[in-house]
Amino acid sequence: MSNDIEVTIHNKDDVAIINIKGDVAAVTGEAIEEAYQEVSLIGSTKILLVFDKECYINSGGIAILIGIVSESQDNKQIIRITGLSEHFHKIFDMVGLTRYIDIFPSEAAALEGF
Amino acid sequence: MLHHAQVSLNTSTYDVVRFVGDAEPYDDLIDNCGSAGRMRDGNQATWEHTEEPNLMELEKTFELHIPSVLGFEKVVVDFAASVGKILHLPAERIEDLKTAVAEACTNAIEHGNKMKPSARVSVSFTIEESKLQVAVQDEGSGIGQATPPSLEQTISRKKERPRGWGIFLIKNLMDEVEFETRPGGWNVVRMVVRLQE
Repeated sequence: MSNDIEVTIHNKDDVAIINIKGDVAAVTGEAIEEAYQEVSLIGSTKILLVFDKECYINSGGIAILIGIVSESQDNKQIIRITGLSEHFHKIFDMVGLTRYIDIFPSEAAALEGF
Repeated sequence: MLHHAQVSLNTSTYDVVRFVGDAEPYDDLIDNCGSAGRMRDGNQATWEHTEEPNLMELEKTFELHIPSVLGFEKVVVDFAASVGKILHLPAERIEDLKTAVAEACTNAIEHGNKMKPSARVSVSFTIEESKLQVAVQDEGSGIGQATPPSLEQTISRKKERPRGWGIFLIKNLMDEVEFETRPGGWNVVRMVVRLQE
């Protein structure tokens, strides 16, 4: 039941957009990590993570995202996030992730000035 | 059928009937009381009909048991959401409860019961006058208290897979949290959500 995740990548101008739908947990989160590695390999420095509104994110998934943020600091990449529900926005604040990444209310807002 | 419900009649300019109890006998009650209402001075009766059960008169503890297989924590999360709705918790508090319950169950499955499918995770929801208490118990031998995680240290030291965020979230989302471990026995996490007056 926890293996339901759908991660897709596409580009808009110079921004790599990673769409995430489903469960973001320790095991499933590896699909996001792989997508991040894939866009990093081709030299993307602007990455937008787009979460589906119905995404279920647990601490295992948060740990994966922290790992990605950590690596992005070394790679001089900028990560933005959109699509989070109010609750998970609060969780990301609580954990401290918003000190490293900006969260936007919509994909259009996130792409603006990126 | 009437013994399943409480009916009160207030006589003023109109009659108010409030039902508290099982839903099933409502139709008969409405019929019976409707006749009574119409007999009062020929006034039109106004019915305040609520289908909400009086929780203080119902079973106050509900228990669920799930196998230690990841994914089953969602069954408990859905149940927690239903209890939260019945108790009229604000939507945001229901989300907090769902996250805390998910984290406690995942910890019990992964760290307490070490993913052994036959080991059970037992969850109880106890409704009290001013609070909802949720207890999540595993069959493990103690997972110890995790050190509070530090995002800065994790990011700067490039530690792999930072841990401890589950307990961090539980502590920050719930009104009260208590951990108890019986050596060689089990772990239990008790979480409390205070109910609004």
